[in-house]
Amino acid sequence: MLNIQPSAPEPIYRQILEQLRRLIAAGQFAEGERLPSVREVAVTHAVNPMTVSRAYSLAEAEGLLERLRGKGMVVAAQSARTRSQSERLALLELPLQALSRQVQELELPAELVLRRLGKLLGE
Amino acid sequence: MSESNCAPLVAQGLWHTYEEHSALRGVDFTVEAGSVLGLIGRNGAGKSTLIRALLGLLVPSSGCALVLGEPALRLTDRIKERIAYVPQQPEAFPWLTATQMFAFVGRFFPRWDDAFVRATLSRWDVPTGRPLAKLSPGERQRVELIRALACRPDVLVLDEPAAALDPVARRDLLREVALRAGEDGCTVLFSTHIVSDLERVASQIALLHAGRLLLHCALDDTKERYARLWLPPRHAAAAPDAALSRRAHSDGSLTLVVGRGARGDWPPAVQLDGARLDALGLEDLFVEIAA
Repeated sequence: MLNIQPSAPEPIYRQILEQLRRLIAAGQFAEGERLPSVREVAVTHAVNPMTVSRAYSLAEAEGLLERLRGKGMVVAAQSARTRSQSERLALLELPLQALSRQVQELELPAELVLRRLGKLLGE
Repeated sequence: MSESNCAPLVAQGLWHTYEEHSALRGVDFTVEAGSVLGLIGRNGAGKSTLIRALLGLLVPSSGCALVLGEPALRLTDRIKERIAYVPQQPEAFPWLTATQMFAFVGRFFPRWDDAFVRATLSRWDVPTGRPLAKLSPGERQRVELIRALACRPDVLVLDEPAAALDPVARRDLLREVALRAGEDGCTVLFSTHIVSDLERVASQIALLHAGRLLLHCALDDTKERYARLWLPPRHAAAAPDAALSRRAHSDGSLTLVVGRGARGDWPPAVQLDGARLDALGLEDLFVEIAA
């Protein structure tokens, strides 16, 4: 479910945190749903358990996750769908910045890119 | 004894010279317990010399090393049984087969994990019936990696382990290293020039270049605290002095690796008209600094 790219310029803990934010905001994780344990994520992706643990702790501090005794990390009650539109837009900040960098590098007019994006969004 | 002296691995002012050539030029660092230190550097940067000096396998020209609080050159058996080291070209026990070697060596390690040996031998496709001298260098190194992990050491030192492994075995090794460190508190020093392997498991990175440590920090910091700054020719004179590397291009433009200041701010030059700041992966950072 998580997509980890070790060689990306984003640290792995940040990739996990961003994905948790997006998946929870999109409702792909239900309230109370159990997340894979730190060990499971570490084994699946061959990454350091401390990195996974760091991402989970940050998500817990943000109120996205809750630590339940005997159950591990679960999606916190009311964490997701109560987010405002501007909060959900803020989750796109990093991909949008990366996109705008690439548009500048390719020296493409913004209008052309926006038109294409509109099409992708089904406008 | 102070706390830093009890750290699993400590280098204090290590210098080493082979004939005319200085392989180490004053290396100081401490590897904290439970961390995975990725030692990167180009071929000939001094990685293997540093590892051998850290473990007391060579007498440095000056400086000293400590392993689990003891001077590396005078380790007691009590400390030695807590350390495992895999050199780039293992040569021990050439007359024994892998099975014989494991049976012999296992007796000296109180935490020897025989189940791990049996499971990994078949998974990593290691011939067990031939003398070690008759194995290929890759097979020989796989045998040594299994031996090192089976000791369940507190300090695990691997010199370029990845070259001998196919992608499946390599992933197994990285997983094992990550779990040993993250769950059992094993301290790992892992040298390589394949930086993508380190990005999965390392918590710390040390970059050795021409015998000097140019960078030693948390892996996440390499990505969050450093970036590549390109300045157009008209602003080249405004380049910050405190850059980690600086490369001038034929058109007069400049590429630098810059770091954030104490308050997390980038140097003012990033705001100049036409300047470009790009995030850096570890490999990019390595190439920019060590090229």
